[in-house]
Amino acid sequence: MFSFALKNILFYKGRSITTFILTLVSAMLFIVYVALMDGSHNSMLQNALKVYTGAIEIYHKDYRDVGGNEYLIRDVKTITDKLLHVKDVEAFSTRYETYGLLSSKEHSAASMIAGIEPQKEKLLSSIAQTLKEGEFLDENSGNCLYMGSGLVKKLKLHVGDEVSFIGGASDDSFAADIFRVCGTFKTGSFEFDSSASFINRKYFDELMYAKNMASYITIKVKNLDDVDRVNSEIMKVLDDENLESLTWKTLMKTMVKAMEVDSVFGYISLSLFLVVIFFVIMIYGFINVSSRLKEFGVLKCIGLSRANIFSLLFYEIFILSSAAIVLATPIAGYICYYYSINPIVIEGLAEMYKDYGIVSNEMPFNFDMYTIVWNIGVIYMLNFLSILYPYMYINSFEPIEASRHV
Amino acid sequence: MYKLILKMAWKNTFTRPARTLLVITMIAVSMSMMLAIQGLYDGMVKNMIDKNKRSDSGDISLYAKDYRVQKDIKYIIKNAVKIKEDIEKLDGVKAVVLRLNADGLLSTARKSSFASVHGIDLQEEEKFGSFSEFLKDKVNGKAREDALGLGKMSLAKRGAVIGIELAKTLKVRIGSKLIFSTQDSFGEIKSIALKVRGIVQTTNILLDSNAIFVDITLLHNFLGTSPLDATQIAIMSENEKLVNVLKSKYSNLDVKSFLELQPMIKQIQAMMVIFNSITFFIVMSVVFIGIFGVVYVSVLDRIREFGIVLGIGMQYKYIRAQIFLESIIVGLIGYLGGAVLGIIFLVYLRDYGLDLSSFSDALEMWGYEAVITGTIKISYFTTTFGAIITASVLSVLIPLRKIKKINPIDVIKAQI
Repeated sequence: MFSFALKNILFYKGRSITTFILTLVSAMLFIVYVALMDGSHNSMLQNALKVYTGAIEIYHKDYRDVGGNEYLIRDVKTITDKLLHVKDVEAFSTRYETYGLLSSKEHSAASMIAGIEPQKEKLLSSIAQTLKEGEFLDENSGNCLYMGSGLVKKLKLHVGDEVSFIGGASDDSFAADIFRVCGTFKTGSFEFDSSASFINRKYFDELMYAKNMASYITIKVKNLDDVDRVNSEIMKVLDDENLESLTWKTLMKTMVKAMEVDSVFGYISLSLFLVVIFFVIMIYGFINVSSRLKEFGVLKCIGLSRANIFSLLFYEIFILSSAAIVLATPIAGYICYYYSINPIVIEGLAEMYKDYGIVSNEMPFNFDMYTIVWNIGVIYMLNFLSILYPYMYINSFEPIEASRHV
Repeated sequence: MYKLILKMAWKNTFTRPARTLLVITMIAVSMSMMLAIQGLYDGMVKNMIDKNKRSDSGDISLYAKDYRVQKDIKYIIKNAVKIKEDIEKLDGVKAVVLRLNADGLLSTARKSSFASVHGIDLQEEEKFGSFSEFLKDKVNGKAREDALGLGKMSLAKRGAVIGIELAKTLKVRIGSKLIFSTQDSFGEIKSIALKVRGIVQTTNILLDSNAIFVDITLLHNFLGTSPLDATQIAIMSENEKLVNVLKSKYSNLDVKSFLELQPMIKQIQAMMVIFNSITFFIVMSVVFIGIFGVVYVSVLDRIREFGIVLGIGMQYKYIRAQIFLESIIVGLIGYLGGAVLGIIFLVYLRDYGLDLSSFSDALEMWGYEAVITGTIKISYFTTTFGAIITASVLSVLIPLRKIKKINPIDVIKAQI
């Protein structure tokens, strides 16, 4: 039946070429489009993760939902000692975050000020790498403030200038101090750069009365794919019902959902192309079988069963689809691979969409074999579905009736 | 003669009804899907533009020079009340509002966030952009029953209306108390206690995630600014030339049209046009291939028949007209089917929208509502009509060449 199908393909060249080209186009379009969509989403998430959010973060329960100083983690040392025993945790650090007003001589602005452990932070986030001017913090940097470039601009400050701070300490008392701008950073995240600043925890803890306390503990895992497993281990090791350990999937839930929405719209658009192509492949398949009705009638008369007829049609579409996919997959795969390494750069993209959290002008593709395989699976499935109506059409004729068909 | 040709074309179109119906179905389904997608995407952008205009910039906004860069109340429009009165007298001006904005820190007893306070006059805002419609008191058309939905549009007694994303960040609800701290016009740090009266969703990301609206008089007193001044004058107008008139009249101010203030929306619009054009081109190309295949096979099936009629003296132009008519009939019926299905989809999307409530948090983050409504434009139908008829006409050119080349004697003799 296979060689019979092959002969038919070579004989009915018009139908074969059209089906081949349409399958080739749809497979390439599907693979490349999904890679672009997934790549953009991954890039946004990875950029957000790289900048500040940890793969896993440990909070006191209700800190995120209710907030307030009573939900700070109190005995940080005990927890961090436990974390040392969790393998697959690459690094961790504690952070103490608060909001306050920063004022220069003439201007004031609200800022999130985070007390961080500078050396550990270098391993966890890209804050140190995004240094724009001056220097990053170190263990002895005292009242040095490392500020976002947007915030510095807003307050009209320069490296070396003094800036006053007013905020609330961990015991709800009033906290005020004079900091010195030691460095500025630019992550590319508009909101982050215009609102965040960092200071050495050692110094900040004194001011905020926050020794051995933390807003949360941020953790980097060796392999991001293992994040759920590592998180379960951490929960087990902590064994404290007042604490919650959350992965980036929960921490960035809204962003993850936003990506899902974007994907929904992407698939809606793509489905239009696939439906139209499906119809054309079906029409060509139908035209082909309707012009071969007499042949099918004769074949049935000499003993070919319905299953044989189905096999014949199946082999025909299978061979044509496979030939197109064998050509489309390496081409589309190479395009995805190339642009995953050398992303498309659209100048001004980050500036234009800064409100949406886009921090880069790059649009990388996602080269993922599993995604390519399921994309191919969908194309195969659509092509197989396209033979159902022609098959039913053939079977609607009795063998004699079909063999006399003109 | 042409009446007879039309009759023959109609009959021949349905000689192979299954084949013809498949092509008609293909045209109708692809066209209606394309219309629905276009309507949905255009509706999203239209909705975004409408709400951005109503909640913030209007069609034109005036600022003091450097205000938009510095965001400092030092850069305030002096005598804004007088300028407003003058603008209101201009042709085509529908509404004008004054606003006073300042950035600062908004705190509850437990949480803090950056915020931008907007001093507004509620009555004027109502005339300007029906501000009360932004009140988040409904979910999917039904009254919202949770704490976020019990608010009202009132700024009396230090009342404040807060953006939905900011409310979520601070975990505030109706009745919550807030402290807003900022630097006043004399450079002093000041704080004011406010009470949340309402929560709004404007679908303008910056407002939803940063804004708290208070009475403009209260804010003038708090910031120590003159009640005659404002940081923004927003204008609603249908007069497209007004922006140039204002630019020359108020050359000492920063006069910007809506799209100048929202380059992102301009880019989104441009991207939508490109996306829709590419989609349109690809879909119509594939539709063309579909029609071409059927017409070509239909001609080949009847090649002997054409040979005979040519042989008995029928002119080629009549056969050509018949083939054209057959293809146009298929295209036209497909178009009508697609138009009917498309109208059903579009009306549904316009009236009920696409309900994505399960993604509401994410959509609000992007500045969209949970139910996305579509729009209907006559141009969807006219351009599609043109494209389908063009595809139908072009698809017969190669089959016609085949007929033109045949030798009647040869095809009559041929065994088919």
